[in-house]
Amino acid sequence: MIDTKESLSQLVSDALLGEKYPIAKIISKIETEKNLEFRESLFHELSLQKPDFKEGLTIGITGTPGAGKSSLLGELCRLFLEFAPDKKMAIVAIDPSSNVSGGSILGDRTRVTLPRRDIRLYFRSQPSQLELGGLNPYTYHVIRFLRRVFDYVFVETVGIGQNEISVSLISDLSFLVMQPLGGDQVQFMKSGIMEVPEAFIINKCDEESLANSSYYMLQSTLEFIKDILPNHTLPPIFKTSVTKRKGIEELLQYILHYEKRKDKNEETLTQLTQWIRNEYGRWGISIWEELESSKWNQAVKRNPLGGIHKLKYEEEERKIISSIQTKIK
Amino acid sequence: MSAEKKEYLLVDENGQGKPDKPWIFRTYAGHTNAKASNELYRKNLSKGQTGLSIAFDLPTQCGYSSDHEVSRPEIGKVGVPINSLEDFRILFDQIPIEEMNTSMTINGTSMWLLSLYVALAEERGVPLEKLNGTTQNDLIKEYLARGTYIYPPKESMKIIVDMYEYSLHKIPKWNPSNICSYHLQEAGATPVQELSFALATAIAVLDAIKERNCFTAEEFEQCVGRISFFVNAGIRFVEEMCKMRAFTEMWEEITTERYAVKTAKYRVFRYGVQVNSLGLTEEQPENNAWRILIESLGVTLSRNARCRALQLPAWNEALSLPRPWDQQWSLRLQQVLAYETDLLEYPDIFEGSKVIESKVKALKEEAKLEIQKIIDMGGALVAIENGYMKSQLVKSQTERLSKINSNELVIVGKNKWTDGIKSPLMTDSDGGIFKVDPKSAEQTLNVLAEAKTRRNAEAAKKSLEELKQAAKDGKNLMPFSIACAKALVTTGEWADALRDVYGEYNPPTGVDGQKLFLSDDKVSTVRGKVEAFTKANGHRPKIVVGKPGLDGHSNGAEMIAVSAKHSGFDVIYSGIRLSPEEIVQSAVEENANVIGLSILSGSHKEIVKQLFDELAHYKAKIPVVIGGIIPESDFEDLRAMGIREIFTPKDYDLMSIMNKIIDIITVEPVLV
Repeated sequence: MIDTKESLSQLVSDALLGEKYPIAKIISKIETEKNLEFRESLFHELSLQKPDFKEGLTIGITGTPGAGKSSLLGELCRLFLEFAPDKKMAIVAIDPSSNVSGGSILGDRTRVTLPRRDIRLYFRSQPSQLELGGLNPYTYHVIRFLRRVFDYVFVETVGIGQNEISVSLISDLSFLVMQPLGGDQVQFMKSGIMEVPEAFIINKCDEESLANSSYYMLQSTLEFIKDILPNHTLPPIFKTSVTKRKGIEELLQYILHYEKRKDKNEETLTQLTQWIRNEYGRWGISIWEELESSKWNQAVKRNPLGGIHKLKYEEEERKIISSIQTKIK
Repeated sequence: MSAEKKEYLLVDENGQGKPDKPWIFRTYAGHTNAKASNELYRKNLSKGQTGLSIAFDLPTQCGYSSDHEVSRPEIGKVGVPINSLEDFRILFDQIPIEEMNTSMTINGTSMWLLSLYVALAEERGVPLEKLNGTTQNDLIKEYLARGTYIYPPKESMKIIVDMYEYSLHKIPKWNPSNICSYHLQEAGATPVQELSFALATAIAVLDAIKERNCFTAEEFEQCVGRISFFVNAGIRFVEEMCKMRAFTEMWEEITTERYAVKTAKYRVFRYGVQVNSLGLTEEQPENNAWRILIESLGVTLSRNARCRALQLPAWNEALSLPRPWDQQWSLRLQQVLAYETDLLEYPDIFEGSKVIESKVKALKEEAKLEIQKIIDMGGALVAIENGYMKSQLVKSQTERLSKINSNELVIVGKNKWTDGIKSPLMTDSDGGIFKVDPKSAEQTLNVLAEAKTRRNAEAAKKSLEELKQAAKDGKNLMPFSIACAKALVTTGEWADALRDVYGEYNPPTGVDGQKLFLSDDKVSTVRGKVEAFTKANGHRPKIVVGKPGLDGHSNGAEMIAVSAKHSGFDVIYSGIRLSPEEIVQSAVEENANVIGLSILSGSHKEIVKQLFDELAHYKAKIPVVIGGIIPESDFEDLRAMGIREIFTPKDYDLMSIMNKIIDIITVEPVLV
């Protein structure tokens, strides 16, 4: 167990070097229930050892089962090693859990063949633990940790309902992966998720004409909702084929050159809100809003557009817990 | 004379009693190296065996030369290693190939092995029309059950069609492929699944040939006539006999209706059989002798369901490789059956039986529905790529195991009447099993090294480049492969050339969404322990199920993966043919609580050593358990290397296995 400060600092410095086992152990610890204390020490230690707040880019990849997300990621990894020789990337792949035994089969590694002992790539599976939203309750913190270590952190989730798009809330750049002519275009419009991802991928474009027709169909669908899209511009659409090895290099270059970062305060607020709602419901939210010293409160009151310094997640979480406990007493 | 004709006897045109010719007696054999296998074949032929059935080692099957790093633990283990024409020269030394019926159990590299055979024949001046035999070449069952595929489905099918085209014109007596439902039953297929998946595969092959459009209508009929089948006969022998009759009738219908074959002899369902090994037990292995006999009856007893060729496993196959004596004993069984009994003197003895007829009808109806389902899906290739057939097999297998676990399916000596006297057959100094001499690999490697130095390097390189170019251009690859064979190209070089063009295939594992049908006290005990672990550690136990090496028999690994999930574990399972390094990398990155290995090829010691070396590299102390066909004499060595628990076919109770595993990681949780 990580008991002492010394061993944690050793673990963190090894992890920052990209060593796989220490990274794996830290993730397991984050994925453990009641990990607030550990997170506090972990992120404190990280800020000591890596004080510059330069963080990796988080890329969310979601889409229907069978759209070929894992194979696409496998090919992205292969090209990444070739085209980004001095960068490191991690993948977190989330698979559904069984609702009978709670167990799961995490099979996504099957599609991603990684070179052995290469510290530039790290792959981690995560069971969804039956949470709605396609994310595991700890995914956010795992990613927050990984982007301190890696230049790029990919998060792969399955599913395509309203609930499964949460991944875009915690990533800087999110993709929706589709199959050509899945017939889901209309469904997308209905479910209103077309405005959520930053970009689209039509995967399995093994055949030119089918790929093109799907491309134009998607484009015209997006034209409909152009008015509500940020900046009123159409998001990019990529056509990829793993078997033909087409379009993936362009996709990778787009990711490698993506500069924009989403507001991490907003991300933190979203995550905190979600956590409180899960744990304490609307009652919890109302208590948080009442909390005078809440950074959230300050953020909302003083600067509704963000722009204040980073929220400290754990600090805020502790405050909320203690104020809720007081209320309960 | 005709007045005296007896309905119940087989007679010739003069009314004289004329029994059927016996089927071809084969022994599936090959081990150590080409020289040792050659000696074995010559001995077997002198004992009255009438055909050759060559077993190749796993590197040869998977397209690696013996000097490839992945081959090292496997050379000569489950069959003979073949690296180049030089090995074929040794293997067939003093064996007249023009008189042989040679069956080669080879799939991914079947075109290569046939090319070597052709090159050998040409070198000996044997006219190719005289070559008689079969290359198994059923890739679909490899994707489903046995795991020695190399290229993706479409490209593999293209290679098969190339072989049909070449064979029909040049080696007309050769069966270029052999639709093999044998391994489907080994992987848990029900009779209906065996019928439907095999026939759907045959349809896929014939459709691909039709699409190539390289034959006249008459040649196409001959092609249909070349398709043969390799079937499994299980212990429920009445049902199995009905399955064979259903096969024959359905093939007649398919070839008439779908392919309009006019010539009756080309519509005949021609098949060979190996009886079931799945049902053989490690416990009281002497009982297997009876099982093998009973299983043989299903495919020999009635004339309308009698195989063309038969090979029987040995009584001790659930323990390890059989010794030459064990194979001889199996051969003798066939000879007793064919020559001592009156089996071959009668016409079909079940004709007119209401029971048999209605059972056949029922099987046919169900199988037809299933075939239609696969065809509607887009055919066998699509049903492979979308994982449908694989998941159906994993489902049947879990159901079968659940029934053994709950004693619904009785297996004598295993879950009933388990007490008994130890078999005297096991008390010989070799413990009743055969082990390949680890030093024998040197001989193979020497032959390979020598062939490489002796050959014209330029010519070898040129022939490989031409092969690659032909693959890119979509030409028939047979002539180019034969040219490679003559230039002493190696197995690995041939396979790599095509890997470059076609890529390697990675199929669905079939375990997603699978459920076990177990819910007894044992399950709740294990789930209780899993919950306790989860509570104590704050997260579920995590197991990496690893299938290292070239042995593709993944049933065991799949069953453990499904059972672990059933118990509440988080399971990482990434399919077959992983290196120990890849397995350890997964376990380390996932911070797994335990690694479970499944190895059936006999290479456990070498692989376990590599695995612990790799764990040491990461300074990771993750407990490792192993399951597979592992002789007790190796237990001590494995434990000394660090293996925490060993499971063999004796440990069929999945929940007892999970119980042991959860205990191991509960006592010593991995330090985080």
